[in-house]
Amino acid sequence: MYRIRFHGRGGQGIKMASRILGTALFRSGFTVQDAPKYGAERRGAPIFAYVRASQQAINERGIIQHPDLVIVADDTLVAVPAAAVLQGISNRTIVLINSHQPPEVWQDRLNIKANILTLPADKDIQDRAELPFIGATCAGAAAAVLGIIGRDKLRQSIKEELASLSPTIVQKNCDNALQAFDALAKHSGLVTEGQPLSAIDFVPPEWTLLPFEEARISAPNIHASDTSVEVKTGLWRTMRPIIDYDHCNKCWWVCSTFCPDSAINVQDGIPVIDYDHCKGCLVCVGVCPPHAIEATPEHLAQQQEKEESTTGNTDDS
Amino acid sequence: MTHKLLTGNAAAAWGARMAEADYIPAFPITPQSEIIETLGAWVDNGELESRMVTLESEHSMITAAGAAAATGVRVFSATSSQGLLYAMEMLYTVAGWRAPFVLVNVSRGLASPITLESDHNDIMAARDCGFLQIHCANCQEVFDGVLMAYRLGEDPRVRLPVLVNLDGFYLSFTREPVFLPTVETVRQFLPPFDAENIRFTASAPESQAVAVLGGGPYSYFRYQSHLAALNGIAVYDEIAEKFSEVFGRQLDAVEAYRTEDAEIVFFMVGSFATKARDAVDRLREAGQNVGLVRPRLLRPYPAEKLKALLKGVQGIAVIDQNISMGKGGVLHSELASALYDQPDAPVLASFIGGLGGRDISAEEFYQMVADTHKAVAEKTTPQPRLLYTENELREIRKLQAIAKVEREETSAHSLSVKQNPPVSRKESHE
Amino acid sequence: MSEQHFKRMKDLPSTHLLGTGTPMCSGCGALEALHEIYDVLGEKTVFVNAAGCMTMLAVYPFTPFQGSWLYTAMASASAGAQGIRDALDILLEKQRITAKEDLEVVVLTGDGSAYGMGLSATSGVMDRNLNFIYICYDNEGYGNTGQQYSSATPHAAKTSTSRGSRGYPGYKKDLFSIWAAHKPAYIATVIGSEPLDLVRKVEKAKSMTGPRMIIALSPCPTGWEFDPKESVNIGKLAVKTGIWPLKEYIDGKVVHTKVPRQRPPVEEYLQLQGRFSHLFKPKKKVGMIAEIQARVDQYWDGVTQEKTTQKSEPRSENGNTPQ
Repeated sequence: MYRIRFHGRGGQGIKMASRILGTALFRSGFTVQDAPKYGAERRGAPIFAYVRASQQAINERGIIQHPDLVIVADDTLVAVPAAAVLQGISNRTIVLINSHQPPEVWQDRLNIKANILTLPADKDIQDRAELPFIGATCAGAAAAVLGIIGRDKLRQSIKEELASLSPTIVQKNCDNALQAFDALAKHSGLVTEGQPLSAIDFVPPEWTLLPFEEARISAPNIHASDTSVEVKTGLWRTMRPIIDYDHCNKCWWVCSTFCPDSAINVQDGIPVIDYDHCKGCLVCVGVCPPHAIEATPEHLAQQQEKEESTTGNTDDS
Repeated sequence: MTHKLLTGNAAAAWGARMAEADYIPAFPITPQSEIIETLGAWVDNGELESRMVTLESEHSMITAAGAAAATGVRVFSATSSQGLLYAMEMLYTVAGWRAPFVLVNVSRGLASPITLESDHNDIMAARDCGFLQIHCANCQEVFDGVLMAYRLGEDPRVRLPVLVNLDGFYLSFTREPVFLPTVETVRQFLPPFDAENIRFTASAPESQAVAVLGGGPYSYFRYQSHLAALNGIAVYDEIAEKFSEVFGRQLDAVEAYRTEDAEIVFFMVGSFATKARDAVDRLREAGQNVGLVRPRLLRPYPAEKLKALLKGVQGIAVIDQNISMGKGGVLHSELASALYDQPDAPVLASFIGGLGGRDISAEEFYQMVADTHKAVAEKTTPQPRLLYTENELREIRKLQAIAKVEREETSAHSLSVKQNPPVSRKESHE
Repeated sequence: MSEQHFKRMKDLPSTHLLGTGTPMCSGCGALEALHEIYDVLGEKTVFVNAAGCMTMLAVYPFTPFQGSWLYTAMASASAGAQGIRDALDILLEKQRITAKEDLEVVVLTGDGSAYGMGLSATSGVMDRNLNFIYICYDNEGYGNTGQQYSSATPHAAKTSTSRGSRGYPGYKKDLFSIWAAHKPAYIATVIGSEPLDLVRKVEKAKSMTGPRMIIALSPCPTGWEFDPKESVNIGKLAVKTGIWPLKEYIDGKVVHTKVPRQRPPVEEYLQLQGRFSHLFKPKKKVGMIAEIQARVDQYWDGVTQEKTTQKSEPRSENGNTPQ
């Protein structure tokens, strides 16, 4: 059985990717399972979807613990523990990352044995309306490395899954997906089918005797305030608002008041964006009276930050 | 202490009064309304220092009850039948808040068809919600049960809301002598409610009943409620002993009446159990070794006590005043599962009756024992018996005639599904 | 009641009480309104929540609140407020807590609960003159389940359950008037994109007792299909075009707190949202747009007549709104 996991963010078409690949595998004669897995997270938050394909009936259910192929739509997620991108991978897992960085850099950075491939995006996505196209691109890339889906089947599946969208959008998705398919054709068949978990030498589940705990401990209550600060929703951000303090007229209420997430606070009359929690909605960019806030793609901003820190420029004001 | 004639409803109201409930969210429904009318009169004339509010539905009533308990006051409420079902979402919800209060349910049959009279389908529908359940057989037990329920639910080892169940009409509107202690005596038994850290105050911000993500945390909270409910068995025993010390009345989790050498026992809950007690006496007079086992505490389920009490019994006539459509009696299913691993487990004969206030006659009790004896002798598990007489069938025929029901007398029998013959016990265990 | 605190935009709080790290969507108009409201109400509050998007504000073990919170169910948050208010009153009366431990009880529900399932319970607490504040964040659909239409959905909007070429056939329920028929202490409509108007109203509500009811129109990037950064812009247009009248009810009178003098056509508001895209593509549905415009015009004609027949309070104009 092939076990494939897509990782991305809400709004990047990850569910669509799993459906396209699922349909393509189904059309290629496989029994298929595909499903998205999402919690309460919204657009921008890490999500995943998975696909199983087999020549036999599929009895497994739910989350894929040991994937044969992992596709990451957004490389900023790889290092995020909450996204669990690397969960359950072994040295036979293929990890396909949509990234500007070459595989060697990822190999080095992650220090993992898994076989890493990258799918370089041809251009930066500046317009968030483009984001959903990543899904189809990833499906195309996945189809290529699986090596069991023909080009036509891929195209038909995209058309089937996107039937409700306009012909131009369908065409654009097809083009992107086929481009990715062709780019990775040389790795065709790299992914191999995983074996079922042995019932002989398995690791026991470590069941425990749950102790009774009084309600003052065990009620579903939080006995504190403002604990959500520990949730770094800054990870959702694909675009980063950056305040140009030379142009900021220190009005101090506009961006801070309108920021839905309370992520802009005013310190000594100067607004400061809390990047740990800014989701990158860019409301502040639109409302700033002197247009002193600019939007930059998150990965470029991170790159810039890194360069600044390596060149010794640590002035973080 | 006074001794006076009280209806079951009045006894329930007295329970709330003596427990010094702070807050009474209410909603009227037959046959419960007398409880809230009685309490309302006391609040109005100043005899009871409580705040009573009539909500616009039972769903809201239970929400308000749970929310007030979660704020740290002692809460009493009461409902019945459709009202309990209308509140069902909130019964499950507030039980998970771990904010204890007492809810009296006056049992009444469920629609459809709509009826006003008693049976236990309403309370059985609430058996999995997290409320503990105390079932009463007479008006004294209703009063006592309310006090027991507060002490049980508020115990830190439990902290769950408790339902006290009494039968509509047979108890709710029936007067019986009830001993009422003084408030001072009750205080010896029932200390003030300690909300611990589950409450709302400005100095201690608290987010209660929050959502969870994922089956792991969800399971933890659900399991904890279950473990708390299970603790209720030992805690109940402890407080029953205290109750007997203070009030001199014995309220065991399971009433065992003349079971010492019993070959056949009745197994049931609620007010008809006193009729079964009578039947036991008459059958004993007739030379039969018959007894009665009646759980007062149905949640948590006192399985170990039942196993011990029913050891050596040959046959049990389980009487369910409820019906799980397409399955049968709920008490029967639960008892069967409790006794499943017992060597030489007794034969269980299932009888469903007393629906919608239908009487169960003395003759029927005697016949149930006869049938159970027969099953024991034949080593068979009889098909569940739906208590219904030829005469009742004739009566419904008359009503159907007036209702212009088109019915072909001759085909009536051919249409009925052929009953399976009794299965041998061996087979039934497979 | 005083409006002394918030005369100008500059008077708005610069630090915010509502915590970060919530799972609301990026650009959420409801969260924007809530954080503005919370700055005024403060931490001596207990929020009683009904099933909706905001239920996910408090997910174990994370809460953004400085104060307290209770999740109830979709239909009965108002009844939960009743229970807490009554219990706090009892604790105060019986001197088991001191006055400084008292809390303002605040119901927080979406439009699905406020306009529909929870309306009976809310009607009940208004009947009983409960001392509490009710906040409805209205994103005009069952947002938390994927934006199916609710009785707050506007005419012609496309939702997950009205995907046809004409969108939702019904009309947005007039919850303000339904509430007003109960004669509560206070009702106001607000929107996060008009923060000065919002905080003045919340401050006024805070200074009163009895049922104080607030509906916040909440532009919803996910459900209304627009880029999150447009959230404030769309909110402002909702007010300017007259789609969302900012008003309040006190003592049987309705006063509009911001009367748009020159209302731009509703088109400007509609065309920014994917949920109305079928009104513009493939062909502009002139008739449907005109109908929406006519209903808005009719509303404001009524307001003008009202003004000429009754003496309304002088309204303050918003000064330095960023354009």
